Amino acid sequence: TISSNHWILAWTGLEINTLAILPLISKSHHPRAIEAATKYFLVQAAASALVLFSSMTNAWHTGQWDITQLTHPTSCLILTSAIAMKLGLAPFHFWFPEVLQGSPLTTGLLLSTAMKFPPITLLYMTSQSLNPALLTTMAILSAALGGWMGLNQTQTRKILAFSSISHLGWMAIIITYSPKLALLNFYLYTLMTAAAFLTLNSMKVLKLSTLMTSWSKTPTLSAMLLLTLLSLAGLPPLTGFLPKWLIIEELTKQEMAPTATIISLLSLLSLFFYLRLAYCSTITLPPHTTNHMKRWHTN
Amino acid sequence: MTYLHLSFLSAFTLSSLGLAFHRTHLISALLCLESMMLSMYIALAMWPIQTQTTSPTLLPVLMLTFSACEAGTGLALLVASTRTHGSDHLHNFNLLQC
Repeated sequence: TISSNHWILAWTGLEINTLAILPLISKSHHPRAIEAATKYFLVQAAASALVLFSSMTNAWHTGQWDITQLTHPTSCLILTSAIAMKLGLAPFHFWFPEVLQGSPLTTGLLLSTAMKFPPITLLYMTSQSLNPALLTTMAILSAALGGWMGLNQTQTRKILAFSSISHLGWMAIIITYSPKLALLNFYLYTLMTAAAFLTLNSMKVLKLSTLMTSWSKTPTLSAMLLLTLLSLAGLPPLTGFLPKWLIIEELTKQEMAPTATIISLLSLLSLFFYLRLAYCSTITLPPHTTNHMKRWHTN
Repeated sequence: MTYLHLSFLSAFTLSSLGLAFHRTHLISALLCLESMMLSMYIALAMWPIQTQTTSPTLLPVLMLTFSACEAGTGLALLVASTRTHGSDHLHNFNLLQC
């Protein structure tokens, strides 16, 4: 999909991606996994069909099958909503936490990082003709919903799903103004999420209560998890702050300072659940979560 | 907008609405997905006739191949969900609620 110039090849790439990851999701034949695979399939197949439909409409009106020449406005609208469905941007995000919950942790990693790359590439290639108002609305909704819905979660995969949704909001807000920044955000987000998922995978932690007792398995890894989570939240000395800072700077240059303020305030909500994860894993000693400080045995 | 364009546009829109508003059975959703693919196939097949070029004649066949793969996968998932959930009623897909 990434190296294609023609819409049909892009659609083919998206279809192959969907078909390839379905067996990975449903590998364990558990009812939850099959349900997750069914939901993923329905959403992604519908979104692929919408991508094909938008490219067909564009071709009927302008005679072009080239990806960068998507000029018809209805076509751009349908394409944006189709890619939002593929990525999990609000308001098309409802499938994402459930699918991530039903899949194994390494497949969840693939779903959150690798499967997002082709749709983001399609947005990057068509970014000059997309509708900024729609994308800004979806981005703010994603940051809000990702933050708010993640607050009451105890399953780590769902928490990572909501963090993914809010990061995608940050990417979507800047893609019409500076697509390279959206790609930078995506690469750094991939790195941080991969670190988080692989850490959780090696500690085999699926719930918050498991996270509390996982420090004894690999103490250094849970210390690193603290740093990774804070980086995902976007705190200043860590890497995760860089894309947020550059995005806010670009938005203020585009006279969208209130939008930048709103999206930064909404990412405070996700800071809460990152901090809660870090608190449970690294800072406190279970089962007391409030008063005891952890004693780090080094001998 | 010609009648041809309007016909395939309305076929696709109706099928996508059917996919969005399906109520009880998973198989009706898969059927709507197939009808979306069918309307796309007809549109792609009409394209070289409209533009009088012969090079895009391959495109409908390519699209049909991939939509057949997708249909097969959908049916496999239908069978798998019937094995684990007992039926294809969409009300039963609530194991993963928040």
